[in-house]
Parts: sequence; C-alpha cells; structure tokens
Amino acid sequence: MKKLMTFTLLVSSFFANAQDNLLNMLAGDDEPIYVSYLFKGTKVVNGQSVELPVKGVLQFNIQHRFGTLNSGLYNLYGLDFSQVRLSFDYGIKDWLAVGLGRSSSLKTIDANSKIKLKRQVKGGFPFTIVANSAVYLKQWQYSEAQKESYLLTNQLSYANQLLLARKINRDLTLQLSPTMVHYNLVEIKDEPNDKYAIGFGGRQKLTNRISVNAEYFYQLNDKRNNNVLSLGFDIQTGGHVFQLHLSNSPAMIDPEFITRTTGEWLKGDIYFGFNISRVFTLNK
Amino acid sequence: MRMVRLITSIVFLFSFTHLFAQQYLANNGEISFFSNAPMEDISAQNNKVNAVYDSDTKALVFQLKIIDFVFPNSFMQEHFNENYLESDIYPISTFTGKIISQDVDVTIVEGDLTIHGKTNKIKVEGILKQEKKAINVSAEFIVKLEDYDVKIPTIVMYKIAEEIEVKVNIELKERE
Repeated sequence: MKKLMTFTLLVSSFFANAQDNLLNMLAGDDEPIYVSYLFKGTKVVNGQSVELPVKGVLQFNIQHRFGTLNSGLYNLYGLDFSQVRLSFDYGIKDWLAVGLGRSSSLKTIDANSKIKLKRQVKGGFPFTIVANSAVYLKQWQYSEAQKESYLLTNQLSYANQLLLARKINRDLTLQLSPTMVHYNLVEIKDEPNDKYAIGFGGRQKLTNRISVNAEYFYQLNDKRNNNVLSLGFDIQTGGHVFQLHLSNSPAMIDPEFITRTTGEWLKGDIYFGFNISRVFTLNK
Repeated sequence: MRMVRLITSIVFLFSFTHLFAQQYLANNGEISFFSNAPMEDISAQNNKVNAVYDSDTKALVFQLKIIDFVFPNSFMQEHFNENYLESDIYPISTFTGKIISQDVDVTIVEGDLTIHGKTNKIKVEGILKQEKKAINVSAEFIVKLEDYDVKIPTIVMYKIAEEIEVKVNIELKERE
C-alpha cells in the first residue's frame, strides 16, 4: 500500500509540474540576452557612440556651437558667435545606419556609416563593438575651382573608428574609440596625412532621463594641436534628446575636433554648445 | 502480486497517456498592448512570443522577452525597458496556466502571470479554436501596472495610464 501511495504521489507530482515542464521546454531554446541602451544618444558628446538609430527610424539632429566663454561681455560670452551642423541619421538595419550632415562655418559635407559588429551579452561577450567610417568634403567656391592646382580629391578627409563600449552597470557606460583620421591634403609640408588618436568616453546616468557624459581624444602621432576634452549633459524627453555641453573645440566633425583643436580649457577657451535630436519612425 | 500488477498498470497507463499527450508549440506568437492616454497613446507589439499547449493536461504556457516589444517611438521603447519594466533585471515575462473551462465561444484560462518579477494569479476569458494541425488562442485582458510594481514617475503620470489593455493572438502548431 505504501508503494502505491508513493507512486500516486509521483504521478500527481508530475501533473502538478506539467506547466513547469512546458516552461522548461521553452527555456531550453533561449537566445542570449543582449545588453541595450549603452548611451542615450548616437553621440557621446562630439564623437560617435555605439548607439545607432533603430531600424526604420530617421533621426534629425541640430547641433549648435557658440563662441568661447572667455570672449567677454561684448560678445555675450560667446553666444554672439554660432555655428551649426544639420544632419540626418537613418537606421537601415538594426546593425547598420548611415548619416549625412553639413557644418556651417567649416563648409563641410560629411557622410558616414556605422556598423554594429558585436553586442554585449549579459553574462557573455563583454563589449558592444561598432565600426564607424566617415568621409568629409570641404566645399569650394567657383574661383577656387578655376585654379590650376585645384583638385577635388584634395578637399577630402576621412575618419575611421572602432568603438568599443561596455555597460558596466545600469548607470555607467565606458567607451574606447581608436580612431584614424586621414587628410588627402594637409596644411603644412611636414604634417602627416594619417593621424591616430584614441578616444575615451563615458556616461553616468544621474536620473532615468538625465546623464552626464565626458569624452577625451588623445592624439598619438601628431601633437601640434591640443587634445579635445568635452563634457555634456544628456536630457531625454519623449521624442527628443537634448545634449548640452562644454568643449575646447567648436567643431562638430571628427577630423576637426580630434586633430585641429586649438582651444585650451585652462585659458577659458571653452565653447558652449548643444545638440537636439528628434526621431521619426518611417518604417515599421 | 496484485499490488505489483496494479502499480504496473498505473505506470503503463500513465506512460501511455504521456505518449499520446498532444503538444502544440509556437515561437512567433503576437502579444500587444495598448494604453489610451491624454497626451500620447502608448502601444507596442511583440511578435516573438513562445507558447506551448498540452491538450492532455490542458496546461498553457507563454513566454516572451520584454526587449522584443517594438514601439512606434524608439525613445518610448528605451524608457519602457530602462525605467519601467527594467528588462535588464527582469528580461522575461511568463504566463503558466491551465484551461479550467472550455466552450465553443469562451475558454477560461487561469494561472500565474509574471511581469517585472512579480507574479499574480489571473483569470482570462479567451477563444481557443481547434484547427486541423493547430490551435488558435486569442484573448484580451487588462493589466494593472501597480499589481506588477511598475513605477511611474509623478511628472509623467498624465502620460501613462495605470491600466493597460493586452491582446494575445497566437497560433500553436502541433508538435511533430
């Protein structure tokens, strides 16, 4: 009789567990859990972050940089000067995005593509890796193009980056950005055409909607100009990201702020600026 | 000896039913939710819902990843994952239940719904249609955010309704 009871128990315990067994059946074929939302924006401050616009999403960015804070009351501490970059980024796939932009004072058109190569996995692969490749074309005036020495290819420069980021915890993300900048034509004879730099960036969330960001690019082989250091705040609302920041470079394109920064923080050559981006879903 | 025979027959009977237990599976089921709010309607859809139904035990199980919910607005999706459902800590939501009454029009399912690490007993009326080699499950029910400890910051209280309408539409195919 005891035996029968044990069996009955065994059988009934099976029935009790029927749902759990079904659940186990599902849990077996599970994919890895990817870590998402390493940054709020597609840029840390000036440089690219590992974030891409979502597939089918068009992101419109308006970037403003004012003059230096040490330019005096006469210039309203820099607010009298302003330059702008307008750009679009579009997510073709979840792992592929393209962008097109133009900077006002530098008269430069840029195009870039970002490819997500690898994603950080919870309890697995430690980094999200993105390749960013951009080309820059400096515009010219008709009179310049008439000169015999004029070559269209001389107006081009390039930036190639590998972005490695890790979300350390829910609030903190760190990013490493080895970068290679190439100028088809440099300004001075002994200036190298290829310039290497390594970028360090990160964000720390203060609240669910606000984070503080920092970014520094260290130039490796050509140090005629200063290294760029930028600090910023990201503020997110429903459909916008506002980024407010301070930097010793007013430029918004990589070759310029990485290798041609002249401002010095300690002298007060600090440029205030902001980015606003708005997302539009074009394709579901 | 009689005892042994009895036990053997029970075991036999049991293994027999187990052998013929028909299971239905789905891995691309649809679960969507909608919330009517004065500022902005909030909706999202998940097309990667896993489901199993056992016609023998009448057990029904759903499982989905929070991160697979797609919103029309990608920032909303980020907030949903980062601030409300906290999908980094609670990546998966499950329902494990059982059909307690089955009719042509209405099927009632009772079980445990786990969202955001919190489990509640729910009872849902839906439709279960038996087809040739598949069954269709569809249902609509209301989820209260506070039941699942989903916090809403007071600033955006007007934005997000405290009750959310959930729709389920899943076709489960007979297991080969």
